[in-house]
Amino acid sequence: MVMKSSVEEDESGWGLGIPEKMKNNANWVDITQDFRGACKELNLGELLHDKLFGLFEAMSAIEMMDPKMDAGMIGNQVNRKVLNFQQAVKDGAIRVRDLTLPELIGIMDTCICCLITWLEGHSLAQTVFTCLYVHNPDLIEDPAMKAFALGILKICDIAREKVNKAAVFEEEDFQAMTYGFKMANNVTDLRVTGMLKDVEDDLQRRVKSTRSRQGEKRDPEVELEHQQCLALFSRIKFTRLLLSALIAFTKKETSSVSEAQKLMTQAADLLPAIHATLNHGMQAQNDTTKGDHPIMMGFEPLVNQRLLPPTFPRYAKIIKREEMVNYFSKLIDRIRTVCEVINTTNLHGILEFFCEFSEQSPCVLSRSLLQTTFLIDSKKVFGSHLMHDMIKDALRGFVSPPVLSAKCCLYNNHQAKDYIDSFVTHCSRPFCSLIQIHGHNRARQRDKLGHILEEFATLQDEAEKVDAALHSLLMKLEPQRQHLACLGTWVLYHSLRVMIHYLLSGFELELYSMHEYYYIYWYLSEFLYAWLMSTLSRADSSQMAEERITEELQRRGSSKKTKKKKKTRPLSREITMSQAYQNMCAGMYKTMIALDMDGKVRKPQFELDSEQVRYEHRFAPFNSVVTPPPVHYIQFKEMSDLKKYSPPPQSADLYLAASKHFQQAKLILENVPSPDPEVNRILKVAKPNIVVMKLLAGGHKKETKVLPQFDFSAHKYFPVVKII
Amino acid sequence: MAAMNEENGTAMHSMDEMAGPSLARQKLENLLNKSMRIRMTDGRTLVGLFLCTDRDCNVILGSAQEFLKSTDSFSQGEPRVLGLAMIPGHHVVSIEVESDSLLSPRVI
Repeated sequence: MVMKSSVEEDESGWGLGIPEKMKNNANWVDITQDFRGACKELNLGELLHDKLFGLFEAMSAIEMMDPKMDAGMIGNQVNRKVLNFQQAVKDGAIRVRDLTLPELIGIMDTCICCLITWLEGHSLAQTVFTCLYVHNPDLIEDPAMKAFALGILKICDIAREKVNKAAVFEEEDFQAMTYGFKMANNVTDLRVTGMLKDVEDDLQRRVKSTRSRQGEKRDPEVELEHQQCLALFSRIKFTRLLLSALIAFTKKETSSVSEAQKLMTQAADLLPAIHATLNHGMQAQNDTTKGDHPIMMGFEPLVNQRLLPPTFPRYAKIIKREEMVNYFSKLIDRIRTVCEVINTTNLHGILEFFCEFSEQSPCVLSRSLLQTTFLIDSKKVFGSHLMHDMIKDALRGFVSPPVLSAKCCLYNNHQAKDYIDSFVTHCSRPFCSLIQIHGHNRARQRDKLGHILEEFATLQDEAEKVDAALHSLLMKLEPQRQHLACLGTWVLYHSLRVMIHYLLSGFELELYSMHEYYYIYWYLSEFLYAWLMSTLSRADSSQMAEERITEELQRRGSSKKTKKKKKTRPLSREITMSQAYQNMCAGMYKTMIALDMDGKVRKPQFELDSEQVRYEHRFAPFNSVVTPPPVHYIQFKEMSDLKKYSPPPQSADLYLAASKHFQQAKLILENVPSPDPEVNRILKVAKPNIVVMKLLAGGHKKETKVLPQFDFSAHKYFPVVKII
Repeated sequence: MAAMNEENGTAMHSMDEMAGPSLARQKLENLLNKSMRIRMTDGRTLVGLFLCTDRDCNVILGSAQEFLKSTDSFSQGEPRVLGLAMIPGHHVVSIEVESDSLLSPRVI
């Protein structure tokens, strides 16, 4: 917070420039000796300061001459002239025409590495704009270099626009500042792709003319030229394809997404050729006196040193060329995955897609592209479906509320329509936020999930009221039907999912200490998953009731008996998975209790806090939720008290019980039809834990004082327990 | 910076309560919030408001601006805004204040 406010002050200071006094060369008087002498009089550790200036302010000062904080220091230690683009051209340090092929390849590769480093969260000034050529492409006479420089600028500009628009980044993800550089705004996108294409065509002709012909003796020089032309051709074409794909994402039609996908596939095909020709480029000289920033013709790592902000001048280490192709192949894979989203058209499926995509911790660009593809102009999903309709479809698919069934009298009832429409309108924002949250980086998601629960609590309240109103309306019109807790069940389902996700992500982010595991797993198994399963089965029975009515109506209409098809219930898979998760959590809970009994859980010496303080902190966001009501620490202690059993279970009993839970989870998962990777991941934890718990129940290594280990490598929420 | 505060954090308050500031202390207090120009060992000069110091002559300047040495041709004396900056005592080469600030002692 302090940092922020000080930055703001500084920014306002920019405009003011140097205070008049300082400019006028006011009379400066040297007081060095006096000052030093006076300082000596101070006591050790004493700070002499103004009343208004305290330790808190002092904390936010940057320390001069500390290389991590003082960006100005590096530039100052280099004994060479730092030239800008015009100066460098004038001095002949860089050329704007007659660039050789190896020079072009080398400059382009380095520039692409800078681009990647920027995308990974560094500032443009320390990455792409260390390349002098992109400072002013108008001055470049070499057509290939010019087109490439413009292409890179356009790529940066569109990527920046996308990321800004999607707004799923934080300062650790992305630096959007352009430091006043022009991002090729005077040239249209089309002109730039056209220029790249022209260069590409020229190069292709050169590639063809130098190609080896049958029976001809190969001149090594021609062969080299052929290789180099091919290298340059691949790079220019790659730049064009990447740029075109990004341009396609800015279009509003859904078809442009599949176009982008096609372009990315073509770009991916070029990567092997680029990788194979990395050595054809002029290599950077690693001059140790200039830091380990690659020193290349056309690059000056320090050219923007004066533009850097005073705070957080992070040192930008440009990635190596060898890693460039690898990065791009992953980026392209991610972008192609993003394009897949348009094939999912129901809200729950889309939400699932976002969750799964986020699990791979994707980069900020692909996350942003996914967001902007989902909501093109904040109203229509994929630019074609109304959010309104998607929510209604999701409701139909989940609880089949009578009000949304064409076979129900409420469907055409004005009052009922008003109720449901206003409810659905109110749903739109929280659900869009929920989807946006899944676009943030993993660490930030958790915090935001905690906050969105408040919105869902409000929605829950409204859902219950609308349900009640619709029910009383329905009772008058069709007394044999019910409209109980339909919308409420649906909102509750989403609240519970958010709560579960919130708690589980704490394991992934390694927030919990070992001695906290037991109440986290308890809360999940005894409470949240229990609620989730009852919510799912209520939705399931609501669906069945609706189907029965529909069938009855059909039978009455056609009088012919439709054969009852036994189809799988839509929610069955989710119910099964919840059972498995609940058993895993229960198993972990009992394991932790038993380990604690055996003195195998290290507990902190609570001095300033207590278990209750920690517990309350862990579940604090749940206090804003009314249903399910939060379980307070005292309640938790009562509910989980083992003394209420007689005789109270011993650690061996608990290990055995835990083993049974893991066994149960295993049974459930092994019967899941067409298991996905998640099923296999849980099984990888359940199986060894069954064995370990049985061993522990038998008294294996009961006396050892070595603490058990929890290995989260197989599954990010459930550890394999290891006894050493 | 943080380390320095940790060491001094507890001492700071008790020292403040000490009776009767010495002459040296008064001298320094008179300089508080005055413009100060500090040259550092690497040749850069910082200009800012004097906010805080300690026995080792570590100085904190507020609204500080950084000027490069005059030999630097690229950034012709253009200052860079740093904001709050701490200069470790052993990097301080010289300290200057404006002459008029010495003449008029601070009115308390």
